[in-house]
Amino acid sequence: MVMELEYDRSLYGKEHEAGPFEVTKEMIQAFSQSIGETGAVFNDESAAQTAGYRGVVAPPTLCTLYVRRVELPDINLNFGKTRFHAGQRVQSKAPIVAGDFLTASSHLKEVYPKTGRSGTMVFIVWETTFRNQDGVVVADVQESYAARE
Amino acid sequence: MYLDLHSHSVSSDDSRATVEQYVKWIQVLRKRGNVVDGIVLTEHRKFDFDRDYSQLAAEYGVLILKGSELDTLYGHFLVYGVNQGLTNDLDFSNVRLDSRELMKAARQHGALAIPAHPGRFGIGLVDYMEQGESFEDVHIVERLNGGSRAGENERAEELCSQKGYLGTGGSDAHLASHICACVTDFQATIQNEQDLVQALLSGEFKPVRLEETQNGSV
Amino acid sequence: MTQQNMPYFEDVELGDEIGPLQKVAADDQVVGFCQLWGNPMPNRFTDAAIAAKANLPGPILPGVMSMALMSQLLTQWGGPGALKDLDLVFRQPVPHDQPLNIAATVTDTRQENGENLVECDILMTGAAGERYVGGTALLSLPSKSQ
Repeated sequence: MVMELEYDRSLYGKEHEAGPFEVTKEMIQAFSQSIGETGAVFNDESAAQTAGYRGVVAPPTLCTLYVRRVELPDINLNFGKTRFHAGQRVQSKAPIVAGDFLTASSHLKEVYPKTGRSGTMVFIVWETTFRNQDGVVVADVQESYAARE
Repeated sequence: MYLDLHSHSVSSDDSRATVEQYVKWIQVLRKRGNVVDGIVLTEHRKFDFDRDYSQLAAEYGVLILKGSELDTLYGHFLVYGVNQGLTNDLDFSNVRLDSRELMKAARQHGALAIPAHPGRFGIGLVDYMEQGESFEDVHIVERLNGGSRAGENERAEELCSQKGYLGTGGSDAHLASHICACVTDFQATIQNEQDLVQALLSGEFKPVRLEETQNGSV
Repeated sequence: MTQQNMPYFEDVELGDEIGPLQKVAADDQVVGFCQLWGNPMPNRFTDAAIAAKANLPGPILPGVMSMALMSQLLTQWGGPGALKDLDLVFRQPVPHDQPLNIAATVTDTRQENGENLVECDILMTGAAGERYVGGTALLSLPSKSQ
């Protein structure tokens, strides 16, 4: 009784692009406020410039907000009624500061089944690379979603 | 000797610890006065035939054995003494393995499969027994699991009392600093996976928490 | 850039504890976060009835918000540019308006490609020890010799 997963395997190797998104000072400040981040460089322009940055610095996970703006295709998985966010990884490669324009490029990384407290689940993993206006990779974000019965 | 019978390295999808980080962390535990002799890597749904940890084991003085944790119709099972014959007979990646067939196949190949975290809500053996299932080949279960939520280890303990099962201990670590949170105290000296199977079959072991290994006094 | 009270690589040892940082995510903070995120509201993060339909005990924190809260422990400790990698598994729903304890433990230190790297386990737990979110973090710290 092996579990046969059916989904659109042709999606492997395809990139889905979005952006550019402008990272504004106001957005960084609102993000910092919503999580109670009081660090000076994440809130105050002059403090950030004194510390050697071009503008207010984005907290390291701010780029995760942009992942959902990439229109990802349905993988047509033959399993599960609900999905939940199971895990996330952010690899910061270079600072993101106010005034940057980011582009996102996402691809399907893997799909696999497992079992746990919630019963049988299928994990779907997407990977997104963010680049700034100079083409510099600023972050890689990996998101896992679990589909369950 | 004290062995952690349940751990996951980055070879498992949901673990974030390398084997090197585990053995380094064991040095921290030893500095704190805990006695820990080794670990068994029980990777999810696979057996890593091609991974060799002997150099790390020698460098850090930690016994590193390999096993598996498999997904079955009746919860997760820890498998010790895995060999090519067993992996030829069973598809380890199948998340709907037949638990009873697994236990029988394991013994036929000189290995041993025992229920992991039987008290775990939603996926533990206790839930399935309450639904009327019975498992005549179960004699040993994992009684202490370091990843358990409140009440789950107590359910496993009650199961052992009611059925007369023997119990092991394992951390179920997915992070370096969680390794050896629970271990199994063996009478025998164990040097390899076959020794481990024999030691389990001998029945001369008990589960203990890390704090009980302080200075070796239990 | 080194700030006052930021650790140097040489000061860090295996087993060192970082934190804890105590946080509470209030309802209005979650709403503010969802607005920025662009997640249409009401949703299971902001509305009790929608959360109940999804078999949740109450509105929960988005995973991306839990991650942002956890990253603060590390930026406060190591400085704003120290965090290189944060890799988390969301193990249980995280509630609003409840004390959240965020703490890390140093599990490895190494020098690699000219960087002074510190690896940590990081956990977000509840008042009764519930392990809500767990994972690892990699930070790059300055050295006294640089």
